[in-house]
Amino acid sequence: MTGIVIEGAARSFGSVRAVDGVDLTVGDGEFFTLLGPSGCGKTTLLRMIAGFCELDAGEIRFGARRIHQLPAHTRDIGMVFQNYAVFPNLTVAGNVAYGLKARKVAGAELAKRVDEALALVQLAGYGERWPHQLSGGQLQRVAIARALVIRPQVLLFDEPLSNLDARLRVSMRAEIRELQKSLGITAIYVTHDQEEAMSVSDRIALMQSGKLEQVGAPADIYRNPASRFAAEFMGTTNLLSVGALRPEALRLAADAPAGWPRLAGVLVRAEMLGPITRLDVRLSDGTLVRAALLDDPGRSMIAGDTVTFAYDPARLTVLP
Amino acid sequence: MPLAIAALGFLFLGLFLLYPLFNVFSASVLDAEGEKFTFANYLKVLGRPFYRAAVTNTLTIGVIATITTTLISVPFAFALARLPVPGKAVILALAAMPLVLPSFVSAYAIVLLLGRAGIVTQWLNSWGIGFGSIYGAGGIVLVYTLTLYPYVLLPTMAGFRAVDVSVEEAAQSLGSSPRRTLWTVTLPIVIPSILAGGLLVFIETLENFGVPFVLAEDMPIFAVEAFKLFIGETAPNPSSAGVLGVLLILTTAAVLLIQRRYLSARRFATGTRAAPPILKVGLGLRIAAAVYCWTVVLLALVPFFAIVVLSFMEFRGPVLHPNFSLDNFRILFDRSMRPLINTLLFATLAAMAVTLVGVPIAYVVTRVRSTLATVLDVVATLPFAIAGTVLAIGFVVSFNSGWLILTGGPLIMVLAYTVRKVPFAVRSSSAILHQIDPSLEEASISLGRSPLQTFARILVPLMLGGILSGFVLTWVTVASELSATVVLYSGPWRTLTVVMFQALESGGGGVATAAASTLIVVTLLPIALLYRLVRRYELS
Repeated sequence: MTGIVIEGAARSFGSVRAVDGVDLTVGDGEFFTLLGPSGCGKTTLLRMIAGFCELDAGEIRFGARRIHQLPAHTRDIGMVFQNYAVFPNLTVAGNVAYGLKARKVAGAELAKRVDEALALVQLAGYGERWPHQLSGGQLQRVAIARALVIRPQVLLFDEPLSNLDARLRVSMRAEIRELQKSLGITAIYVTHDQEEAMSVSDRIALMQSGKLEQVGAPADIYRNPASRFAAEFMGTTNLLSVGALRPEALRLAADAPAGWPRLAGVLVRAEMLGPITRLDVRLSDGTLVRAALLDDPGRSMIAGDTVTFAYDPARLTVLP
Repeated sequence: MPLAIAALGFLFLGLFLLYPLFNVFSASVLDAEGEKFTFANYLKVLGRPFYRAAVTNTLTIGVIATITTTLISVPFAFALARLPVPGKAVILALAAMPLVLPSFVSAYAIVLLLGRAGIVTQWLNSWGIGFGSIYGAGGIVLVYTLTLYPYVLLPTMAGFRAVDVSVEEAAQSLGSSPRRTLWTVTLPIVIPSILAGGLLVFIETLENFGVPFVLAEDMPIFAVEAFKLFIGETAPNPSSAGVLGVLLILTTAAVLLIQRRYLSARRFATGTRAAPPILKVGLGLRIAAAVYCWTVVLLALVPFFAIVVLSFMEFRGPVLHPNFSLDNFRILFDRSMRPLINTLLFATLAAMAVTLVGVPIAYVVTRVRSTLATVLDVVATLPFAIAGTVLAIGFVVSFNSGWLILTGGPLIMVLAYTVRKVPFAVRSSSAILHQIDPSLEEASISLGRSPLQTFARILVPLMLGGILSGFVLTWVTVASELSATVVLYSGPWRTLTVVMFQALESGGGGVATAAASTLIVVTLLPIALLYRLVRRYELS
């Protein structure tokens, strides 16, 4: 098992600086996520670690070993791709055995490890199936088994869930997290979905324009965004003159302690989403404030009503 | 690795494509002794009405043939894609056959059937019915239409099938009748496919040597005159043939450029597609569509069928007698088995070489994004625009003396075939490679296989079907290659096409038909095998 150190990594494509001087340390066994909008450089950074993208400058180390000049096939990495990349000309077992055969594992040992890996991703007994007989979720499990079975130093995930439907995404991300923790392999995960990032990660690096915007634990970045970009990317944010405020930090004034600051305005829209109700309220200065309240059967509001909110001043983030 | 492949690709194409072409060009701008630079050759050739006529004839015939093939193929394609026509699979298989069968065989069959002493002509004459001459432009256009129509049919049909049905539904929900939708929505979307096919037809007509050689008689045609000039030229520098060669290349290049500019502005990719449904039409239209499709497809194959039948009849000189006889084949093969063996040998060698050159080039072209790859793509597509006659002239001029002498042997023929067919291998391989996601290769590499091992273990198995069909198509088209062969063959290295060519020149109809029908068998057998193989592969 290995920690990863990235120092001054940079890469340009033409005039675009895809990765612009990134320094990063990922701890041994950590689940680390690169999060950001498309084109922010997160995938390029991941491909640098995998060895599919050369660095213009900087270096990458696994532990004490510098790896950024090694050919990709000698880096000992397990990678899971967005489109699964399951070899269509091999069976499920053939796919899982592929990396083991490259490592000269054979015979009973090969069969045993393939079976173990398939069991690990709940595909025991699927070895003889062909990829075209499997669903998207099953294909991604094959890809994960294939990456795990070689016992890599580092696991890389390139938006592994974005081709799956919403329900499957939620259950698969929990599975991935559990697998990674039980095996203790250092993992780097790329996604543009902040909820997914928060759910799986020990730490998140938020990226924009090839640079790190903020690095920290999910709750830390959510609650204490270091910039307006971080605040807005991590979820809905009300940018007030006094600072940034999350929608769930607002309460109806009637339910709030007397000392909290108040915000009054006219209800523009109420959106009932089940457990929560979302309210859009226009303040007298024209600012639109978004609030999220837990559902309350005793409450009824319609557009045009005057609404007064209150908030805990401790939950106000002052942005630079 | 891609760099090494690209370097080898450039080396091969540089030596056996660019260098010969450069020599054709320099032949055209040097004097008869090959020493002084001059444009006099151009003035000399273009100053003669005969060669100016060659230019206009070739272009006129090309344009007319392109129009006739398009007029025949577009309704055909629509019927196959959207109307209930019985036996579609068979029609498609038969419709693709003219693409691999040698067109000059069809031309020769037309002569035997409709020529001055033709069977049909004489039969009609006995009833007192006459018709115009089949020789000259009319006959050439007829043969081009019958043999080249699949070039328009196949892409147009694919185009009709690729139209997203929701686009048509959108038009109809906006109040457009089905007929109006066809004219205002469907056809405009398909037009780029039609044009791409039409362009292929036009270029084929420019380059074709065999059909005008059989049918043109006194009418001067580009490729034939270039050949005659080259054979007849006695000065050390073949300047006049060079001039015609350069003009032919420039014409094709101009046509390709125009098409590129036009098509680049009109790429109508419709999104995720549901295959458009077969239209419900009345009985009358259904019968008409079926009759039309079957008539076109069978009419195009009648000449080939006729040749096979005629090759089993008795010929006295060029004159046909309606008695069954194996004499034609006896004469053909008693003389020597070498032409047949040479044909099989050259086709096999060239198909292997084309695969070895084309597949790696396709890999670089599809997987590497750099100027180098783009240039390699252009150079590897170039042979498509070069008539076989012109390339062969370049080969003779280039490898007749100096450090690399190839003339007089078999290797020069195999090399010329290889260069001519490389674009097809590159096109077909890159079409498959485009469908293979690069992440498959990355997955293999990250699992510990080197790029070379990855190529062998992942890409080659995935490409195998395509590589195999490419191999067979190359094999088949090389076996019936004529235009480069007649320039390059020598002594014992005659092929079946040369035998047929010589028999035609000397009026030996029997041997010509025997050679032609042997050629048909040699062409169709591998295709049939491939077809069975693919079917079995798809069923398993």
